[in-house]
Amino acid sequence: MFYFRGCGRWVAVSFTKQQFPLARLSSDSAAPRTPHFDVIVIGGGHAGTEAATAAARCGSRTLLLTHRVDTIGQMSCNPSFGGIGKGHLMREVDALDGLCSRICDQSGVHYKVLNRRKGPAVWGLRAQIDRKLYKQNMQKEILNTPLLTVQEGAVEDLILTEPEPEHTGKCRVSGVVLVDGSTVYAESVILTTGTFLRGMIVIGLETHPAGRLGDQPSIGLAQTLEKLGFVVGRLKTGTPPRIAKESINFSILNKHIPDNPSIPFSFTNETVWIKPEDQLPCYLTHTNPRVDEIVLKNLHLNSHVKETTRGPRYCPSIESKVLRFPNRLHQVWLEPEGMDSDLIYPQGLSMTLPAELQEKMITCIRGLEKAKVIQPGYGVQYDYLDPRQITPSLETHLVQRLFFAGQINGTTGYEEAAAQGVIAGINASLRVSRKPPFVVSRTEGYIGVLIDDLTTLGTSEPYRMFTSRVEFRLSLRPDNADSRLTLRGYKDAGCVSQQRYERACWMKSSLEEGISVLKSIEFLSSKWKKLIPEASISTSRSLPVRALDVLKYEEVDMDSLAKAVPEPLKKYTKCRELAERLKIEEIKGVQQDEALQLPKDLDYLTIRDVSLSHEVREKLHFSRPQTIGAASRIPGVTPAAIINLLRFVKTTQRRQSAMNESSKTDQYLCDADRLQEREL
Amino acid sequence: MWRGLWTLAAQAARGPRRLCTRRSSGAPAPGSGATIFALSSGQGRCGIAVIRTSGPASGHALRILTAPRDLPLARHASLRLLSDPRSGEPLDRALVLWFPGPQSFTGEDCVEFHVHGGPAVVSGVLQALGSVPGLRPAEAGEFTRRAFANGKLNLTEVEGLADLIHAETEAQRRQALRQLDGELGHLCRGWAETLTKALAHVEAYIDFGEDDNLEEGVLEQADIEVRALQVALGAHLRDARRGQRLRSGVHVVVTGPPNAGKSSLVNLLSRKPVSIVSPEPGTTRDVLETPVDLAGFPVLLSDTAGLEQADLILAMLDASDLASPSSCNFLATVVASVGAQSPSDSSQRLLLVLNKSDLLSPEGPGPGPDLPPHLLLSCLTGEGLDGLLEALRKELAAVCGDPSTDPPLLTRARHQHHLQGCLDALGHYKQSKDLALAAEALRVARGHLTRLTGGGGTEEILDIIFQDFCVGK
Repeated sequence: MFYFRGCGRWVAVSFTKQQFPLARLSSDSAAPRTPHFDVIVIGGGHAGTEAATAAARCGSRTLLLTHRVDTIGQMSCNPSFGGIGKGHLMREVDALDGLCSRICDQSGVHYKVLNRRKGPAVWGLRAQIDRKLYKQNMQKEILNTPLLTVQEGAVEDLILTEPEPEHTGKCRVSGVVLVDGSTVYAESVILTTGTFLRGMIVIGLETHPAGRLGDQPSIGLAQTLEKLGFVVGRLKTGTPPRIAKESINFSILNKHIPDNPSIPFSFTNETVWIKPEDQLPCYLTHTNPRVDEIVLKNLHLNSHVKETTRGPRYCPSIESKVLRFPNRLHQVWLEPEGMDSDLIYPQGLSMTLPAELQEKMITCIRGLEKAKVIQPGYGVQYDYLDPRQITPSLETHLVQRLFFAGQINGTTGYEEAAAQGVIAGINASLRVSRKPPFVVSRTEGYIGVLIDDLTTLGTSEPYRMFTSRVEFRLSLRPDNADSRLTLRGYKDAGCVSQQRYERACWMKSSLEEGISVLKSIEFLSSKWKKLIPEASISTSRSLPVRALDVLKYEEVDMDSLAKAVPEPLKKYTKCRELAERLKIEEIKGVQQDEALQLPKDLDYLTIRDVSLSHEVREKLHFSRPQTIGAASRIPGVTPAAIINLLRFVKTTQRRQSAMNESSKTDQYLCDADRLQEREL
Repeated sequence: MWRGLWTLAAQAARGPRRLCTRRSSGAPAPGSGATIFALSSGQGRCGIAVIRTSGPASGHALRILTAPRDLPLARHASLRLLSDPRSGEPLDRALVLWFPGPQSFTGEDCVEFHVHGGPAVVSGVLQALGSVPGLRPAEAGEFTRRAFANGKLNLTEVEGLADLIHAETEAQRRQALRQLDGELGHLCRGWAETLTKALAHVEAYIDFGEDDNLEEGVLEQADIEVRALQVALGAHLRDARRGQRLRSGVHVVVTGPPNAGKSSLVNLLSRKPVSIVSPEPGTTRDVLETPVDLAGFPVLLSDTAGLEQADLILAMLDASDLASPSSCNFLATVVASVGAQSPSDSSQRLLLVLNKSDLLSPEGPGPGPDLPPHLLLSCLTGEGLDGLLEALRKELAAVCGDPSTDPPLLTRARHQHHLQGCLDALGHYKQSKDLALAAEALRVARGHLTRLTGGGGTEEILDIIFQDFCVGK
């Protein structure tokens, strides 16, 4: 639904606080002087940019509020995107026409697919990204998105009004108050403030309030949220020091060159902007016992490590690595920060020692003997809001039309933030137009797993995506994210461009056609052996074998099949992606239905006529499971409680007719699937 | 006339099935397509036990168990001989009811088997159902959930439902607890732990292998553990003798020197003259096996069968004739050789019974200090019979697994189902070079084990990963 694109660039981009696109002020506004938008997004990080553009793509007049326009699209930690699990998220964001994959492909300086030999379901698309290019390209995109206005300003408070009676929540958000006292009204508000809620930077024993090095934290907003009754937790994370490139002796280090050809992140790109031969290498070095010694001797100078706030277990600082796994050599990847950057990012050396000790430790490491630290590593401690307080559409239970996305929900990583941003943007917009929410289930995508985990189980450490969290890993692959989400994104959310939708449809029908053609071609195994001698086809029993089954052999791909049987297979090798996906499609996934839905506005604490223990009520109230499947995964919720809930659904069925319609559609689809299976 | 009736019956049976087809193409049908079964009446001994199935394969299962008869008239009680589809062995003569969907409790095709309530019969029918492809034991509350989802429960019916489900779950929880105390629970937990760890290491290799430095040999170690687990599970599943005994009867052989009173004991235990009792030694010559119910266990009692068939040997001596050469010879050969087996691998158990205790003078010396542990009995007066019965009950419980304290029947069928499923899944590990597929096999296998032990979340996997490896950048 991208027809806004061509219809003129009327949107003003404002850099000062009082300037608004007057031409498009809300016509029904009660206060004519006050600007009025459909959706306001607070924060211009990875969640905020995706949320703002997704809402705009869905047709909402959107305002992006950020402290500084020049930090939009800032990669504040590692100079890379993707990886195992995270690459899956990026493909899904792209399938919903999100930004980060496309921007990465314009800015990547070292592409590498991880897990190449471990099966296509767990391939990890990854790239080192030029920070400067990413930021430039992102800002260009953001400032040219139709319906999207960008404004600088710090939000101090939320404007709240009476709740809508047909939804739960004690009040409804209708706008924001900025630090200078001015107000902006909106139908939905999305908070993507990252680590800025009472953000605190820690280096050694020094601490000072900041959301990111050099940026002010948001304190007023944190207080507002707490006053509203949101449960707030505290998390910590860290980032390594940055080293001057010319001070490193690369010649004695292990050099790693990028893949050739590069595999782009976005479905819409055949190639990436920077050619593989022009891309930059990474280097590998290791820590040694002298590093351990410096860490252990100086623990008293390191308040970040000593404190009890939960940090991630998977991205530990060098201090916690040394403490938990002593006497080991830990890897340090030296990653480029960009094509013309003088900085190197030492992946694996996140630390919070006092600045002078950081340089001392780094110079113990091979290749870094003369290294100059340009910016010290630091820790960040910040507030996050317990994500069990939001629905799967990322709207809060407490305040209607208020959405949270990104690090504020306790996640870590650009990709996790972007994934939530897209979903929040879509749903904030759908909420304005009173359409049913757009929710991705665990069986549909990594995005579904991420949001279901967060909203039903919460998190006690910064949440990162892993493929091991995904039950349906075999079917939720990076290659098929478009068939899983693009069609739905177009029809149910309206966030996908016509062009992308058509491409996904073409791919889907080509795959189906290709598979049925491959099924129809049948020769005796002896003939296959003659046609494709390099394949280890067993000829002991002379049985007819389908081309589809021959494709299962590791040595066989669509090219070798098409060489053997040019007609009708030749045409399927013309599109590289199609040929590769046909080969991958051989891996069958599992289907599971979680179709039984719970109404999202149940007030678990007060509903009568339902026999639920207080403990179960609290758990349900907190987690607000969307489906019976999700409810049964909440520890402590018994089957008896689930049946009680179902009973309640039944009694309130009439009120929930709209929702039942959608669940029925699901079940029709399930039935259709099952019938197909039976026929096969 | 006959033909007319038959057509009527056929119509009755076919009609609802047509309905059923229409339903599956249109209206919602919840849950997976699997057919579930469970013992619907309470645990333990009772007159009649009701076993219920629900799902598309119900009719098929009924036909298989009652072969060669066709489906009975819908919603009419019919008497049928149930037999095990694998062995053809008769299980019970039972009332069966066929409820074609949607006119059934769950809205799906349902079958009820009203069988005789002995543990052997119930266990036999449950295992027979478990062997039918497409059938699996029901999870807690699953019948009700299906019924609800199919719109088969009105509100008044739903009122009582939570209690019902609660009872069902409570019983299963108690069962699970009981079972987790036992030897089998211990085994399962151990296996689940091994498997979780192996899976965690494979998952770590997938999620972190490449640019994190996992130690060498992570996958190799997982391979070794999986192989060892396969061997252990295979051995356990092959040792299905206990279940068989409970189904087909424990072979109890009474043996001893001539005229020790073997036939009298058989008669006493079976309460009917099976053997011809005579004071003349060597009167009994024909092999006779009497099926008897001893303390709730099905027993095939014999005083003539060979000892090699016996699960339990009742060795009898004449208490008044212990010094005779035949008694001494019997003690030295039979009793000593069985007793010499170590208790752990004792496939055979032995009870030494000294009969004719009434012939011992009450104030005289005991039967002799050198004898192994024994029981005194007088078949003539019945003195000592209670002690013998109690000892028998204990021995039989050890041979069969006591259904009231050991793994309960319902979970036994579940156990076998899930352990077999686990073993099958482990067989798929390593067949593929695709590590994600291999991991999937382990995930499926772990899923089966954790159905028995509880747990099984991904958080456990991540805990192990972060505990065992220094990962992350």
